[in-house]
Amino acid sequence: MIKLDGVTKIYGHDTLAVDDVSFDVAKGDFVFLVGPSGSGKSTLLRLMSREEVATQGDVWVAGRNVCEMPPSRVPYLRRSLGNIFQDYKLLLNKTVFENVAFALEVIGKPRHVIREQVPFVLELVGLADKSERFPNQLSGGEQQRVSIARAFVNRPLIMLADEPTGNLDPATSEGIMSLLQEINETGTTVVMATHDHRVVNAMRRRVIQLDRGLVVRDQERGVYE
Amino acid sequence: MLARIEYALRETWASFRRNLTLTLAAVLTSAIALLLVGATFLIQRAFENLLVQWRGDVAMIVFVRSDASPEQVALIDGTLRAAPSVIDVDKLRYLDKAESYAEAQRIFVGDPVTLSLLTPESIPTQFKVVPITQDTDLVRSLADQYRTLPGVEAVALAEDEFEVISTLSGFVRNVTLIMSLVLLAVAVGLIWNTIRTAMFARRREIEVMKLVGATNWFIRIPFMLEGLLQGLIGGVVSCAGVWALNSAWSGGVAAFKPGTGISSLVVPGGYLSGVMLVLLVLGAAIGAIGSAIAASRFLDV
Ligand SMILES: Nc1ncnc2c1ncn2[C@@H]1O[C@H](COP(=O)(O)OP(=O)(O)OP(=O)(O)O)[C@@H](O)[C@H]1O
Ligand SMILES: [Mg+2]
Repeated sequence: MIKLDGVTKIYGHDTLAVDDVSFDVAKGDFVFLVGPSGSGKSTLLRLMSREEVATQGDVWVAGRNVCEMPPSRVPYLRRSLGNIFQDYKLLLNKTVFENVAFALEVIGKPRHVIREQVPFVLELVGLADKSERFPNQLSGGEQQRVSIARAFVNRPLIMLADEPTGNLDPATSEGIMSLLQEINETGTTVVMATHDHRVVNAMRRRVIQLDRGLVVRDQERGVYE
Repeated sequence: MLARIEYALRETWASFRRNLTLTLAAVLTSAIALLLVGATFLIQRAFENLLVQWRGDVAMIVFVRSDASPEQVALIDGTLRAAPSVIDVDKLRYLDKAESYAEAQRIFVGDPVTLSLLTPESIPTQFKVVPITQDTDLVRSLADQYRTLPGVEAVALAEDEFEVISTLSGFVRNVTLIMSLVLLAVAVGLIWNTIRTAMFARRREIEVMKLVGATNWFIRIPFMLEGLLQGLIGGVVSCAGVWALNSAWSGGVAAFKPGTGISSLVVPGGYLSGVMLVLLVLGAAIGAIGSAIAASRFLDV
């Protein structure tokens, strides 16, 4: 589903963020990217969603070489990805329902699809009763659920999560993780960058550890260390 | 498809209302710039009516009485051709009654009284004379000579009637042209600024749109429509302005004594509609250009 082959990313002239990284992620996998701050976790995720282009090497996502993809194809790549972030990136002037609907609306989905799909995913993330609230009327955990609903509503093949529990307390994080696990069980590949050793240790899934851009450990059923 | 169009229109309208002050400034500037462009066209056309009979370096016109015999016309023609060192005989042109009448209809477009007195039978025919020499005194002495020929009604010299107007028209054209170009550039800049501001205000939405895979065109089109609409509204306002100006002007001209030449400074209705159409197209164009420049900033993914 995802394949990195000798990928190097240098920002500007001399900031080496990712250094000759290669790994494969199979369909349906759940992978944690761990490592100290600045080790290149977010950069790897941004290379996969083509927000950045590799300086060297190839990145394959869902069968497509994203490095050689013309810019006009990038939106279609993104439609097969779901992105979630530490800061949720919700639109504060839209309700929960509208935030999720927005993701379908701007890729030209007809209204009946929106009316059908949005309540369905809101039910899935457990926010069916809060769909008319605005983001600032929700807790952090609920906001992250909205952002997961938005990422999942278009049934992506892959979820890319950059520290989704970074702002949440342990109990709330647990809820978010079980939601991601549920999504993973539907066959969606999940790649998640995190600092949160608690969630990594609780899940016992594949762990790829980075240090200064290098892969220093790639372990099935790993822990944080 | 329908969902997309609905989305674009809804966003355009919302953005329009959100940036009302900037939008008004952009629309107003476009309108003023276009009004000036329209005025330039109209003034130029009005002057052209006055100048049409002197087009093509014509410096002297020999008017022949409408009742002159063919022999008299031939004699005048022969006399003109007998001075090849002064007159460019290749460019010597004779306008018969039909051609002279057609020309008079342009000159007296705003002067129906004079026009009604002219018929294709009663109108003087004319020789249009292009001199080779730069020596105006020589041309003038020739003119005095031609006035005495049988069948000649009058001889008019460009120097006496035309040059002041020609210079004036050139000056007015240059001034209005430069001013309209400057104002058009300002209008493009203001529309650019409005659209840029609108995009900045919605940068978080744009970020999310890119994240979930909206195409660049989908993101851009509402903004480009907004710019287009601003330019177009400016165009409509300027059309109203041009129409009002022209009506006031035509009314004022009609009050002048017939036959003074002022009456030529009127523009036919068909030309006015043409100018208005140009203004609408131009308005849409400056809107499209301004917003396209602003929106191209978001071309990169
Ligand atoms: N847009 C950028 N321009 C220049 N340098 C960057 C950019 N983004 C990241 N970097 C640098 O690349 C390196 C890797 O950054 P990255 O954000 O991938 O780390 P990270 O592992 O996600 O860190 P954290 O855990 O703090 O989020 C860092 O040295 C960072 O300063
Ligand atoms: Mg990071």
